[in-house]
Amino acid sequence: MTLLNYRADALRCTRCSYCKWIPFDLMKSWRFSKGCPSVDYNHFHSYSAGGRLVTALSLLDNRIEVTDRVIDSVFKCQLCGSCDVTCKMCRFDMEPLSALRELRFKLVEEGHAVPKHKSVMEGFRTQNNMLNKVKTKRGDWADGLNLRDLSKDKAEIVFHAGCRYSYDNDLNHVAKASVSILQEAGVDFGILGKEENCCGGRAFNIGYKKDFVTAATKNIKDWTNAGVKTVVTPCADCYYTFKRLYPEIGSEIKVLHMVEFIDQLIKQGKLEFKNSVPMRVTYHDPCYLGRQGEPYIPWKGKEKKIFGQVVIYEPRKPRYNGANGIYEPPRNILRAIPGLELVEMERIKEAAWCCGAGGGVKEAYPDFFTWTANERIEEASSTGAEAIISACPWCERNFIDAMKEGDTNMKVFDVIELVYKAIRKEDF
Amino acid sequence: MTLLKSAYQDLEDIVGPDYISDDPSIQDSYAFQWLAELVRPEQSHYMPRPVAVIMPASTEEVQAITMVCNKYHMKIKPISTGWYHWAGPIKDEDDTLQVDLRRMNRILEIDEKNMFAIVEPYVICAQLQAEVMKRGLNINIIGAGASTSIVASACAYAGMGPSTYWMGHNSDNVLGMEWVTPSGEIIRTGSLGSGDGWFCSEGPGPSIRGICRGFLGSRGGLGVYTKCAIKLSHWPGPKEFNVRGTLPAYRLPIHENFRVYTLAVPSWDAWADIYYKIYDNEIGYIFHRQFTLAGADLGPALWLILNDHTKTLNDIEEMVKRSDIKELTEELRISFQIILAGRSLRDIELQDKILDQVLAETGGWKVKRFCEDDMAEFTNVYLQRLGHKHLNFVWVGGYLGSWMQPGTPDFVKKYVPIAIKGLYRDAAGGLLVQCGGDALMGCGSTVAGGGWSGLEQFVSYDPADRESIKAGTKHMEDAITDAISNGIPPGKEAIYLSLGYKDEKIWDTLANSQQPIIFHFQRKIKEAFDPNDIGDRNYPTLPEDY
Repeated sequence: MTLLNYRADALRCTRCSYCKWIPFDLMKSWRFSKGCPSVDYNHFHSYSAGGRLVTALSLLDNRIEVTDRVIDSVFKCQLCGSCDVTCKMCRFDMEPLSALRELRFKLVEEGHAVPKHKSVMEGFRTQNNMLNKVKTKRGDWADGLNLRDLSKDKAEIVFHAGCRYSYDNDLNHVAKASVSILQEAGVDFGILGKEENCCGGRAFNIGYKKDFVTAATKNIKDWTNAGVKTVVTPCADCYYTFKRLYPEIGSEIKVLHMVEFIDQLIKQGKLEFKNSVPMRVTYHDPCYLGRQGEPYIPWKGKEKKIFGQVVIYEPRKPRYNGANGIYEPPRNILRAIPGLELVEMERIKEAAWCCGAGGGVKEAYPDFFTWTANERIEEASSTGAEAIISACPWCERNFIDAMKEGDTNMKVFDVIELVYKAIRKEDF
Repeated sequence: MTLLKSAYQDLEDIVGPDYISDDPSIQDSYAFQWLAELVRPEQSHYMPRPVAVIMPASTEEVQAITMVCNKYHMKIKPISTGWYHWAGPIKDEDDTLQVDLRRMNRILEIDEKNMFAIVEPYVICAQLQAEVMKRGLNINIIGAGASTSIVASACAYAGMGPSTYWMGHNSDNVLGMEWVTPSGEIIRTGSLGSGDGWFCSEGPGPSIRGICRGFLGSRGGLGVYTKCAIKLSHWPGPKEFNVRGTLPAYRLPIHENFRVYTLAVPSWDAWADIYYKIYDNEIGYIFHRQFTLAGADLGPALWLILNDHTKTLNDIEEMVKRSDIKELTEELRISFQIILAGRSLRDIELQDKILDQVLAETGGWKVKRFCEDDMAEFTNVYLQRLGHKHLNFVWVGGYLGSWMQPGTPDFVKKYVPIAIKGLYRDAAGGLLVQCGGDALMGCGSTVAGGGWSGLEQFVSYDPADRESIKAGTKHMEDAITDAISNGIPPGKEAIYLSLGYKDEKIWDTLANSQQPIIFHFQRKIKEAFDPNDIGDRNYPTLPEDY
């Protein structure tokens, strides 16, 4: 696909501005009615999905050139996918989120990348991670845990910690808790440790498609060599990348997020919660686990018209609209933990407000990611919860960073941490 | 079109550097407007570019911007949520400053006791409805739906929707306006202008609602409305929408004192009769002919597809071949929706009985499949919130409205067969969507209490196909011819098309209208409030020598 494939999407956009809001049927208040952080922070229409489609069209038709404003409007967006959900409330012939990614690919290929992204990508290419950390230290989090090393051994299940949980010392106890839970449930698995590579998903989202393909190809090869049939990850970004992007380049490996795996283990009676975790919490749906976490369905086809001008696709095109994201497994887990009370925010599931970290925003636009996160923290606070729970290290890191500048006592946990507290007496 | 550096600096001094831009990508994102391709040369999707886009945060900033426009002889064009080709600049030869009001987005007050709310231009209907429902109140959401600006429909354009029958047209519901005239004066209308608050649009104070908006509104052509008070109606339903279902098939459970029906009648004579009987018996809360917007031939199948989140438009070919769908399509051919709301359980029972009697007298019926729980709950959320109005574009992304002449049901039923025949004819070549000749949608009543209706023909074309666009334009021209040759004034399509006309053609049309004196009078109004002519021709006037 190229940007040209989305020219019809741009021409068929009606500037309805649904992309700026959550689905209207779900609105419960003025305060929490917005869906798109980008246009809410930057205001001009070009910072919405509809506006970016116009930018794409104007570039394709040579009406405009790439200016600093174009780069800013194209990249100052988390690609959270809220626009995709609301657009498709009423449309079957639009793919705004895919079009926005293609617009980024085009700009990067033509040399118009964001400078801060360039330095991140240098680290990606040399150290195989998005945090510009030393490659050889990637597996340090697992030191002393006696986990099977799949760079030398084989197993059907690989636990993929991801860049953030591997390197972030404030968060990598979640990776440790994850493997402890798997061990507790008697799961036979291994890790790649210092040989684990970045999934490439964040590179993909900031426009570096070729680098993504390189990373994905290596990961698929490593897994195949280790006899892996299933990859389990606690990271929502990795999950989306493995589940939705890797099949496009040939992967047939099953993908599970840790919350799905834990939900299954609970249902199978393989995990027993021994401890009460008395806490009132609210759950934040990560974009890449929720509305973008839908199953991959292969499709190659073309547009066809019936009844004169009605647009359909031959064969039937999969409809990614957020309806089938991973919403219930994390909630099932939280509801199953003794003593825990789950209260919901107004914007949840397909209508969730983004944490602010995605799409390269965390790497390049600190004011914007902080503002976006604080919007969500305020919403979480409005529920009376004492903690905001998520299932993605990027969300959690972003909330923690934003809270440093705010005035809140809200705590941040991963679902996995709470499971660990419920099954084990000792702390990390 | 470029903005003088000195003008840009003057404007930047008002709002700060973050809230003004003349970058071509920003300009284009405002020039790109729905319907432009039907009226612009070469089927361009772009109206003229604004010289810059500016975002004020207050009435005072709007006033200061207006003064700069006067100083530099620039047109000023406000946009709030923005959804029409007339929301942007109109003429290539004009320097137009686009004033995006999205930073003015506050609900300033909800006066529960006196039943009104004061809002800024970027408050949308869904936001205010969600807030006022918590207080047992509701608003009239216009037909364009939940995403639209309340200030826009109250002060500057049209203002009717499915709930107008019960809650009134927004030209009636507006209780006070804060208006920055093109000359830069701030006028507060009605009782607000005499310092008595927002409760009455006609005074004591400046009684100029007719000047500001009349029936259709000035569509941004006569200054900027920066606040308004809107009348609220009672809401006997739940304080919050607890929507269920999987998107896009959201469903709103039906409250015990509500009923949600899709009704049908055997003929257009019966259609007019049942409308009169509903008016006369004063039943109903929401009253609309909604689902026919997708065409009477394909619509029934489409609505069932939408109500099943596993289906796509690919399913429609097979569905319309099914015998049950064929029967349903015939059953729904002349249909409409009504939602009854009772103040008590006894009240809703009475309304139900009256409706049954009205159906018996007119030969009408409840359409069973569309009154079953799933479709009734879908209808309930659809018409109460109007959050699916983008379904206007569901077939292929382009829709235009033709006909829509308002009048009594007996008047409307006169043009229905002409409109149906015209659409079958114009879609026969396959360049327009062939969903049926009757894609006529409209309010049960466009005024409070009933009496006046109107049906808009929903014509779908592909904005990505030049031949389809041309067919859309030709349909509008044909609809005008059809109307005039049958002694009916032109409808909505004439307004759409006029955006592409030269001034002289518009003046000729106005001069040959039934009451050209109106447009001479409006010229005098414009001279009074817009001496430097910075408003655009969306406020129509005739030159003195016409």
